[in-house]
Amino acid sequence: MNILTVSGSPHYHAKESVSNLMYGVIFSLIPAMLVSFYFFGLPAVVITLTAIVSCMFFEFIIQKYLIKGPVTIFDGSAIITGLLLAFNVPANLPLGLMVIGSAVAIGMGKMTFGGLGKNPFNPALVGRVFLMISFPVQMTTYPQPGAFPTRFADVVTGPTPLTKLKDGIMQSRTVSEIMPELPEYGNLMLGNMGGSMGEISAIAIILGGIYMLVKKIISWHIPIAFIGSAAIFAGIFWLINPEVYPDPVFQLLSGGLMLGAIYMATDYTTSPMAPWGMIIFGVGCGLLTVIIRFFGAYPEGVAFSILIMNAFVPLINRGMKPKRFGEEVKNG
Amino acid sequence: MVLTLIIVAAAASFTLATIYNLTKEPIERAREAARQEAISMVLPEFDDLEERSFMPPTGSDSLQFNMAYKDGELVGIAVATYTGMGYSGRIRAMVGFQPDGQIIDVVHLEHAETPGLGDKIEKDKSDWSDQFQGFDPRENTLKVQADGGDIDNITAATITARAYCDAIDRAFQTFKENQASIINMEKE
Amino acid sequence: MGQLQNFSKGFVKDNPVFVLLLGLCPALGVTTSAYNGLGMGLATTFVLLSSNIVVSLIKGFIPSKVRIPSFIVVIASFVTITELVMEAFLPALYDSLGLFIPLIVVNCLVMGRAEAFASKNNTLSSIVDGLGMGLGFAFALTLLGGVREILGAGEIFGLSLFAGDGMLVFVLAPGAFIGLGYLVALNNIVKKKLY
Repeated sequence: MNILTVSGSPHYHAKESVSNLMYGVIFSLIPAMLVSFYFFGLPAVVITLTAIVSCMFFEFIIQKYLIKGPVTIFDGSAIITGLLLAFNVPANLPLGLMVIGSAVAIGMGKMTFGGLGKNPFNPALVGRVFLMISFPVQMTTYPQPGAFPTRFADVVTGPTPLTKLKDGIMQSRTVSEIMPELPEYGNLMLGNMGGSMGEISAIAIILGGIYMLVKKIISWHIPIAFIGSAAIFAGIFWLINPEVYPDPVFQLLSGGLMLGAIYMATDYTTSPMAPWGMIIFGVGCGLLTVIIRFFGAYPEGVAFSILIMNAFVPLINRGMKPKRFGEEVKNG
Repeated sequence: MVLTLIIVAAAASFTLATIYNLTKEPIERAREAARQEAISMVLPEFDDLEERSFMPPTGSDSLQFNMAYKDGELVGIAVATYTGMGYSGRIRAMVGFQPDGQIIDVVHLEHAETPGLGDKIEKDKSDWSDQFQGFDPRENTLKVQADGGDIDNITAATITARAYCDAIDRAFQTFKENQASIINMEKE
Repeated sequence: MGQLQNFSKGFVKDNPVFVLLLGLCPALGVTTSAYNGLGMGLATTFVLLSSNIVVSLIKGFIPSKVRIPSFIVVIASFVTITELVMEAFLPALYDSLGLFIPLIVVNCLVMGRAEAFASKNNTLSSIVDGLGMGLGFAFALTLLGGVREILGAGEIFGLSLFAGDGMLVFVLAPGAFIGLGYLVALNNIVKKKLY
């Protein structure tokens, strides 16, 4: 398979390498990480470290002994997978399950398909959904945030705002009845709500997203299309019947929508290459998320919708080829 | 060509008819045994069984009541009940009552709840449903604690637990409504 | 091809599930436990064996234009027999396999062997082929069911292996696809080593 592909000149050399980009992503995740450490304390630190170490460990084992190829555990991609996987689980998840999740994310999500750049699905989300379906009790028992707790033995656990809302709706209560029991928007923004470790603080994630945009690690297309279409679609339902469908601001701030839109959907390997493709991808994610939240069995649909859209990426890429460098725009 | 098809079809029908006649009785016996087993799981020992149907106060289908007698005396009533509030599809259960209305035991008949979560209503999966043994719905409320009742919740499967309570409550409400006629039947 | 090879080809080399990818509907649908997989596999083996015998016996009388309808009638009869007998004597297994028993009729494996093998070969070869393919199918289903039962529920044939919950995803539908994918890959490795 050592076929050298030569494209026409001019060639342009960028400073970016895989590991530079990856470490940029990791750097941008620091605010969200600090927020989760603040609210969930020591257990959150332990979970995050477990996820990162076990992801690197499984990548090493598989690359060295199964694929028998070069070992690339320090290019940063396994670290990101571990970090994002940890962000997607409750902070009181048993460590054994975290290790299983990492093994699935790296082994099933990434290495089965040949490693970095060849996997069709976001590895961290594969791990998360696997855990979600396999261990629903442990994955839906969320600790309520406190200021740097050191253990969770006697900390109150409770549902996320989305779960509370879904349960309420299923008991045929109205949104205006349920809303006062949920955290205020300010708290949703800061992250003072029950939920997975990294998804709670919208503001920390947006900060990281802005950093990545400025550094040109990601482009704006997917996050804006994702968040925008979710807001518009949720808004339409809200206008039709505000007693059954909560307002779009709540939709955007709750659950993992921000984390998904900015970090999960923008994964290079599993998202389309061309700008218009990215927009289609983002809109699809946004629509599916809202549909699952409103009509699905699960209260949260971000992970599922991104995985579903991942499956469409080859098709989108076929229809939307990126413009080659130097190519003239026709009809331009 | 047509003849061959006719011959093949005729041979097949003949074989099937024979097998059907041979297995008819065992199949009925197997079905009856399954029903009897569910009834005997929720009732004390009995020697005679009588069936009647009653309409529940809520719900669209009638409930089947199995009155169990020993030496001519009513010892318990097994009610096949249902609920449409399950997480996925209808849940059916068999509830055994003492003649005064206290619950003897409950066993599920059919459900499609999530494995590992909602299937804790099954007796061999979890001892959750043991709390119905000896439960007295005349004094306590057949609802999960989250709804202000006296039944422990199933972790992460509130909807299933709520639905199961609804099924049992439906059986109890129907029983209460028709208690007089059930007791009278015994006197006849 | 000797009868021994004719028999053994169904297990690894031409395994109906892992290599031919036939009969995937029951292979994915009923294999929530090793017992269900084995039950389904043996039921299919019975239908396959009987239909192979009958088809190879009547192949001389059937005009080729109506052979497919005739084969379907034969197969459907045996499936119905299996269904009735199972409901009468194995009601528990019948309940858990449910709809998948009548669906043996449309299992490509049964039709495929009738059309591709039994209608062209003598009765002895057809018996051996039916047994080999059927048991290969049963082997694959039991293996997949076993893997899913061990990982998903921590049990094998109902015997508890470790305490606590398994990984539920393997009991649910996605686990069937995941398990099948890895078993196909494993079968490719074994096949490469053997042949």
